[in-house]
Amino acid sequence: MMHTSTAIDMQDRFLRGENSAVSIVQHFLQRIARYDKQIGSFLSVNETKALERAEHLDKKRASGRPLGKLAAIPVSIKDNILVKGCLATCGSKFLSNFIAPYDATATRLLEEEDAIIIGKTNCDEFAMGSSTENSALQMTYNPWNLKCTPGGSSGGSGAAVAGRLSPLSLGSDTGGSVRQPASFCGVVGFKPTYGRISRSGLVAYGSSLDQIGPMAACTADVALLMEVLGRSCEKDSTTIPKGPEDYLSKMDGSIRGLKVGVPWQFLEGLLPEAKRVFDQGLEILKSLGAAVVEVDLSLLKYSIPAYYIIATAEASTNLARFDGIRYGVRSPRSHTLEEIYDLSKEEGFGPEVKRRILLGTYVLSAGYQDDYYKKAQKVRTLIIKQYRDAFQKCGIIASPVSPFPAFEIGSIRDPLQMYLVDIYNIGVNLAGVPAISIPSGFCHEGKPIGLQLIGPQMHDVDVLRAANAFEQATDFHQAIPPEYAV
Amino acid sequence: MNTEWEPVIGLEIHAALNTKSKLFSPAPNHFGDEPNTNITEVCVGLPGSLPVLNKEAVRKAVQFGCAINGTIALVSKFDRKSYFYPDNPRNFQITQYENPIVIGGEVIVELNGDEKTFPITRVHLEDDAGMLKHFSGFAGVDFNRAGCPLIEIVSEPCIHTPHEASAYAMAIKAILQYIDASDCNMEEGSLRFDANVSVRPKGEKTLRNRTEIKNMNSFSNMELAIESEIRRQIREYTSNPDKHPDEVVVQSTYRWDPEKKEPVLMRSKEFAEDYRYFPEPDLVPIVLTEAYIEEIRKALPELPLQREKRYIHELGLSSHSAFILTSDKPLSDYFEEALASCEYPRSLCNWLTIEFAGRLKDSGQTIMDLGIPAKNVAILINMIEQGAITGKIAKSVADDMMVNPEKDPQSIVSENPDYQPLHDEAEIECYVDRAIAENPQSVSDYLSGHEKALSFLVGQVMMMCRGKASPPLVNELLKEKIKAKS
Repeated sequence: MMHTSTAIDMQDRFLRGENSAVSIVQHFLQRIARYDKQIGSFLSVNETKALERAEHLDKKRASGRPLGKLAAIPVSIKDNILVKGCLATCGSKFLSNFIAPYDATATRLLEEEDAIIIGKTNCDEFAMGSSTENSALQMTYNPWNLKCTPGGSSGGSGAAVAGRLSPLSLGSDTGGSVRQPASFCGVVGFKPTYGRISRSGLVAYGSSLDQIGPMAACTADVALLMEVLGRSCEKDSTTIPKGPEDYLSKMDGSIRGLKVGVPWQFLEGLLPEAKRVFDQGLEILKSLGAAVVEVDLSLLKYSIPAYYIIATAEASTNLARFDGIRYGVRSPRSHTLEEIYDLSKEEGFGPEVKRRILLGTYVLSAGYQDDYYKKAQKVRTLIIKQYRDAFQKCGIIASPVSPFPAFEIGSIRDPLQMYLVDIYNIGVNLAGVPAISIPSGFCHEGKPIGLQLIGPQMHDVDVLRAANAFEQATDFHQAIPPEYAV
Repeated sequence: MNTEWEPVIGLEIHAALNTKSKLFSPAPNHFGDEPNTNITEVCVGLPGSLPVLNKEAVRKAVQFGCAINGTIALVSKFDRKSYFYPDNPRNFQITQYENPIVIGGEVIVELNGDEKTFPITRVHLEDDAGMLKHFSGFAGVDFNRAGCPLIEIVSEPCIHTPHEASAYAMAIKAILQYIDASDCNMEEGSLRFDANVSVRPKGEKTLRNRTEIKNMNSFSNMELAIESEIRRQIREYTSNPDKHPDEVVVQSTYRWDPEKKEPVLMRSKEFAEDYRYFPEPDLVPIVLTEAYIEEIRKALPELPLQREKRYIHELGLSSHSAFILTSDKPLSDYFEEALASCEYPRSLCNWLTIEFAGRLKDSGQTIMDLGIPAKNVAILINMIEQGAITGKIAKSVADDMMVNPEKDPQSIVSENPDYQPLHDEAEIECYVDRAIAENPQSVSDYLSGHEKALSFLVGQVMMMCRGKASPPLVNELLKEKIKAKS
């Protein structure tokens, strides 16, 4: 079955001529047509362009020209990452008519390696949320349980991979937005070191925290995407000045002697079921020869307030450009300049986006900046230091991704409760370190639960390597939601 | 009692750097092209676009910093300055608020025969806004200028008269031209001035409330604007002697209206904008090495003040002439070119800054614009100084050179019988005899020691020969004849 194979196998079969690119694309387009009415993971599907590209790749293969690392593999892309000529709504009414006039660097790199961009996936509006319920355009449902959210903000990407509607997907992770939906959807989601993947063409939310992250059904496919995407970019000065790295060749399944740090103090509030799955994950790591040590990440209790100050401060300025002057939806009620600004934002933005712009504007205001923004930056510096100290004692830190598995749609209404969903994820973004969520078990209702592995800055390969070892010893990643298995 | 008022003025000068590309994008930094042609996704603030710093702009800012003897910061940073305006594509400007690239510095200016030192607070890099164009019924924005590199040069409040303000600004302009950092084209807005103006009773130690007049783009407008603001503030204080000074002049911002020649109130303090400055997360700090700065410092060309001193000490120009000439880099370069074939720098300087400048005054053109080769001016001066033509004829020759810029003065003289100097001594003697005969009183005045009387007689002779005789010869003949007579 084409959709149950890994992207690497799929590419291999294409190269060997067992499957044509057109047949691969048609297979996934058919699955989208059949299942996405239920799941709602795609905001737009590139049917014509994807088939054209597949035909082109088939010809390319027939003519014997060299083919890229991602040849003929369909990839879906979160709707806040630009694909030239395609809509890039960011899940917002404001950009519901916005067609990207240029390619994100990540998009360009995928296409240079002959990937086929099959469509754009749903997300919380401007990546602000943890359930994809903040999308102004449609709902996305968790393929494991359609009553539940897929997590967020990259919920469309998580659900698309879980439902095997696209083998690979790109999300973005500002405060857990790749790892948490990966955990809820039972797939692999990786947040690289800040600066490893270019942000050029990723619509900014919190610029100092945002990072594009690959999602797939297994670690090897994520590693393959990292080999393509992880490199410096002349259009993003915050990228790490370093070329691509080898991931796949390093993934030998061995973590013998690896010290795994666990911040037990910080994990006190973990719900019993999540605790059971987490403990079980640690046992698996130990059985592979890893040693578990305790590390101190007690400062992470301040990570949520620090994050919601820094991210919203940056967001309040990043989103200022959505003013109704040059692109996006301008309020038809507006007549004066002030009305264009006020009404376009009022009509175009949803409540969570408005809340975060207001919060960010407030924390940067004269008279409040020292108490909020500057203090939060100090907290961030301390958190970075605490991670650095912790990594003196261990090579990898293990933690849950979420205090609980996927929750029901509409069940969390208080925004502050929703912010707490990412309690285990946000510190990683503040520290700029790499972290992965991998399938590690199920709750009694059969909903997946992910395990998070965190590495020191620049140790992206090591994180993938440890995750791959865990994956080789387990079969959680092979589970497919029964309704979408065929 | 009459209070003596002391104006205190600080200037902020925005200079457009003449780099090839913009401050944060590879789009051309070029004025006057079709609207919205010199733009990339960065210049118009499209979603997902990121700024990347132009190294050439950094180099030019450092050159300027070295030229004013400022301290070049080894680490400087960019900040976001938020405000909404349609010509501001991101609705925030990227500027340097907390850590500018140049700290301190000074400019020395010749003022009424004295040298005055103007201390400079800071110089920072920032990007320019686009330009609004108003049409009937709608307005458009041209983003060609958006993102062009500027340096903002902030003086201490060390200026006390409108004349000082323009002398200081002219000195800044000259430095920018000497180091080739800016075209300083005032019509194109590549130099713009904001003035902070306050007045206080002479002797008062603290500064009173200041008002800011923004966006003046000529020296004369700036003088007018400052003059009128000083008068307004004095008038306010004088007519409200019982009120607290803070209530008389409130902190406010004006825009200079060049048409009406008056300041127009933009906003007063209670409506002051809160720019919510915070560090730009999309850019990394500018980190410079001592070696880089030293290399730039060593490679600095001759600066206006150095050239001025050379003109005074080596060429014997008066300090005023040297200042006038060196303030105008192109004219000064032209002077040097002419000097290569002329040994009379003082005469050459006078002819350029008085005779030719006077003839060109109303046209708005320069001698370079006319296309008169510098060598021809040198020849003219040589002819005068070597007695080949008289001063009077020289003025007519200069008139002719303006009409026929390519024609050399020798041909002009040889082709025009009126310009032939009178070499016939017998004829001159006739005029001398006549002058002596017709002016007995002057003759006796001269004999009784009044030297001036001789000049009068020379003048009479020159009139009779229509200026064609050589004045030293006439002088000599007169003295001889009067002596012989007495």
